[in-house]
Amino acid sequence: MRGNAAAALRWSRRVGWWKPLAWLGLLLALCLGMGGLEGLFRWLEPDSRQVLYARSSFLVLLGQHVMVVGLASLAAVILGVGGAVAVTRPFGRDFLPLVSQLASIGQTFPPVAVLALAVPVLGFGTLPIIVALLLYGLLPIVRNTLAGIQGIDPGVHEAARGMGMTRGQILRQVELPLAAPVMLAGVRTSVTINVATAAIGATVGATNLGDPIISGIVNGNTAYVLQGALLIGILAITVDSTFERVQSWLVQRD
Amino acid sequence: MIELFGVTKRFGEEVAVDDISLRVAKGELCALVGTSGCGKSTTLRMINRLIEHTEGEIHLDGQPVRTFDEVALRRRIGYVIQNTGLFPHWTVARNIGLVPRLLKWPRQRVRERVEELMVLLGLPMAEFAGKYPHQLSGGQAQRVGVARALAADPEILLMDEPFGALDPITRESLQLELLDLQARLHKTIVFVTHDMDEALRLADRLVVMRQGRIVQQGSPVELLHDPVDDFVASLLGGQSRGLKEAALTRVRDRMLPLGPRLLAHERVAVDAPLSQALSLMLWHRVDRLTVVDDNDIPIGELSLRRLVGSKA
Amino acid sequence: MDRARPFPNVVLIVLMLGGAVAWLTLPAISVAPNRIVQGTPQHAVAALGWGPTLLVLMPMLAMAVLAWRPTPRRLPGVLALVIVLLIAIPLWLSGVAASMEPTARLGIGSALWCLLFIGLLALIELRSRLALSRPLGWALLVPVVLVWWGCLTQWLAPLALYREYQGRSDQFYAALAQHLMLVGAAVSAAIVLGAGLALAMRRHSRLRRAGFGVLNVLQTIPSIALFGLLLAPLAWLSARFDWLADLGVSGIGWAPAWLALLGYSLLPMVRNIFVALDEVDPAVIESARGMGMSRRQVFLQVRLPLALPVVLEGVRITTVQAIGLTAVAALIGAGGLGTFVFQGLGQAAMDLVLLGALPIIALALIADALLSALTDVLRQGGTT
Repeated sequence: MRGNAAAALRWSRRVGWWKPLAWLGLLLALCLGMGGLEGLFRWLEPDSRQVLYARSSFLVLLGQHVMVVGLASLAAVILGVGGAVAVTRPFGRDFLPLVSQLASIGQTFPPVAVLALAVPVLGFGTLPIIVALLLYGLLPIVRNTLAGIQGIDPGVHEAARGMGMTRGQILRQVELPLAAPVMLAGVRTSVTINVATAAIGATVGATNLGDPIISGIVNGNTAYVLQGALLIGILAITVDSTFERVQSWLVQRD
Repeated sequence: MIELFGVTKRFGEEVAVDDISLRVAKGELCALVGTSGCGKSTTLRMINRLIEHTEGEIHLDGQPVRTFDEVALRRRIGYVIQNTGLFPHWTVARNIGLVPRLLKWPRQRVRERVEELMVLLGLPMAEFAGKYPHQLSGGQAQRVGVARALAADPEILLMDEPFGALDPITRESLQLELLDLQARLHKTIVFVTHDMDEALRLADRLVVMRQGRIVQQGSPVELLHDPVDDFVASLLGGQSRGLKEAALTRVRDRMLPLGPRLLAHERVAVDAPLSQALSLMLWHRVDRLTVVDDNDIPIGELSLRRLVGSKA
Repeated sequence: MDRARPFPNVVLIVLMLGGAVAWLTLPAISVAPNRIVQGTPQHAVAALGWGPTLLVLMPMLAMAVLAWRPTPRRLPGVLALVIVLLIAIPLWLSGVAASMEPTARLGIGSALWCLLFIGLLALIELRSRLALSRPLGWALLVPVVLVWWGCLTQWLAPLALYREYQGRSDQFYAALAQHLMLVGAAVSAAIVLGAGLALAMRRHSRLRRAGFGVLNVLQTIPSIALFGLLLAPLAWLSARFDWLADLGVSGIGWAPAWLALLGYSLLPMVRNIFVALDEVDPAVIESARGMGMSRRQVFLQVRLPLALPVVLEGVRITTVQAIGLTAVAALIGAGGLGTFVFQGLGQAAMDLVLLGALPIIALALIADALLSALTDVLRQGGTT
């Protein structure tokens, strides 16, 4: 009976990973084989000379997109978790009300507006986009890390101290593991927003999957728009379903 | 041995604990009793320095606690709290092995110790070792809490209303188990509770606190007999104090050897509390009981007059 | 008895000292002879001399000093000083403007942006330390906004941002109106549709699972992609059906924008309405039934009023989200304030970008504040 249940669990986990992998496969297949759909795009856009976006290969655009989002998100996780941990320690506790209010007020700011404001300050190109994504991506991570750490039963904290755990041990062995599911949800929100906002970054001179869309709109070529939109949409779903898997793995583990 | 000399704790302007002195001998179970907010928990938590005292000194075996490293100090003092504080993301076995692991015991020794404690607290290894705290009942969780506190075999155990959140039946059985454990392990225990019956049942020494001060301390019988004021008297149960005291006295202490008279029909065990004897008399409407030993052999008799302790 | 002295408020001290350093070391303004030329950055001292610079510096230093011993009586003083600082900035700028050529353009430099940001941070910090209510917090900004407004209309004509506004004030209001219309249309449609969907979902659990599944996936698809994906089918439809084209439906413009906005708005709307209706304390419903209320009465008099604050929370989330997404919709020709942002980015005209981006942020904040306040009011009424 127990063996059966374990087998079922293993099976469901394997099946679970199929979903993000299938989306990833579709994404890569589309990147490499967009030419195979030329007929469809030709039908859509019969008047244009060219119906396949060719200024850059889709794989390169995807790589750029993933890199920008990845770098920004990685930095946002490090800074966001670090910051949230810092303001929940005794030395940083003074900053806790300000930081938590700022994290929630900041999320009212539309990401596009933040991206637009980054340009006058930082200029055009990839770097300002990474910085803008990083800044905006910090907010959900900080907010959820704070919520995760503050949501821990005070009795658990009291017991950990009473048992003689050092501050570092409490953080690593108790607070972070217990806050992990909530933190991960914050990272998921942050990355989802970043995938979308990075695409808009194509308007401020970044090269990524937003490019075909922008150039399609500028040139009135619906086929380009569709190609970019398809790829970005599938990328977003791939990333999101990956997070979904990791989250449910984290919950099952407990 | 724990000693407090003129210990005071202030939070800002508010005085939580006011100049208290106390000595808990080795192997003694000392209960701090009082209404909520009287400073009993604060006193307890100053011993393992979860709260630092403002004035006075606290000594452990003659050494001031301030001279210890606070983390090292806590690792040699067991600590049990009301809502258990078990780590929800760890299994029962891992929770129990916490302090030995913190003390860097070899893995094999930790495992043996965890197993030993689970047996000691009646938690079958096969059933419970891999469970998570949310899968336990309240009583089981608190048993794990006690096991965790005992893991590194500390001499001192601090317990902050450990059974306060349990239902009366579970609470009573855990109290009896604690007495049983204490009879075997002889820890020095400081036990905070607001439940006077619990304190009377468990404590070698009772310390009654009120508004940050110690109002009275002594053995349960001493306090019952001679409450220092109305507050202590009412805390001890007011007019039903007699029954509480009767619950603390054994039939053995009041019985007379078998006399020339016929044996009374109703019997009472020699180790039963007087309250039970009185209840039997009331129930059967008699004023004399035959006292029997463990093997149900009559060894004495107890009259109502002897029971109430009148001289004649 | 000796009152315990409060600990220094490290936050305010750090903010104010940081502000002072930024004010003295970063360029406060940039000056350009006309629109085309890039402005040259200038420090505060260089722009207007030491006197006015120190006048702006004073409130910051005074706050840092007061924050060293932030007694309950001193904190309101600090609050007043923050307001003074935020009012001092436009006055200082007006001073700069007075000494400039009439055709020159004045840009706000990084030091001033820092000061504004720090001032707002200090306001947030003080609001939580003094436990001020939300409306009071907003009311504090009223004099600041009034002074800014006065300065803009009177003396700040050379401000580049203001020039951009004056150059296209008609367009600006048209864009603002378009923005609000799109948001309003999408949110109100989402409320109606969302309520219907949520009610249907309460009946049919299969619809519930499928519905939330679809809406969740929709929510993860980036807005720019969804606008793009709607472009082709809508273009096709409007080409096929003349009446749709007559309505103004086409691949670009308001139609795909509105549809996409509606799609995004549905998830938070449906989720909140569903949760709101579902999570009303069963004991309350039970007792309402027990008193002999009919199903309808229970729904209208008990469930709905208790659910309303949570529903409104959904409206708030949806509205704030829609304000941001509408900005993106400018890319597909839906108009709105995003137009200025993308035009500005295209022409590398940063003040035009600001003209779009700042009102978008302001709209989002105002919508958030108003709807939160409304939720608070309803919640008080609902729970007492």
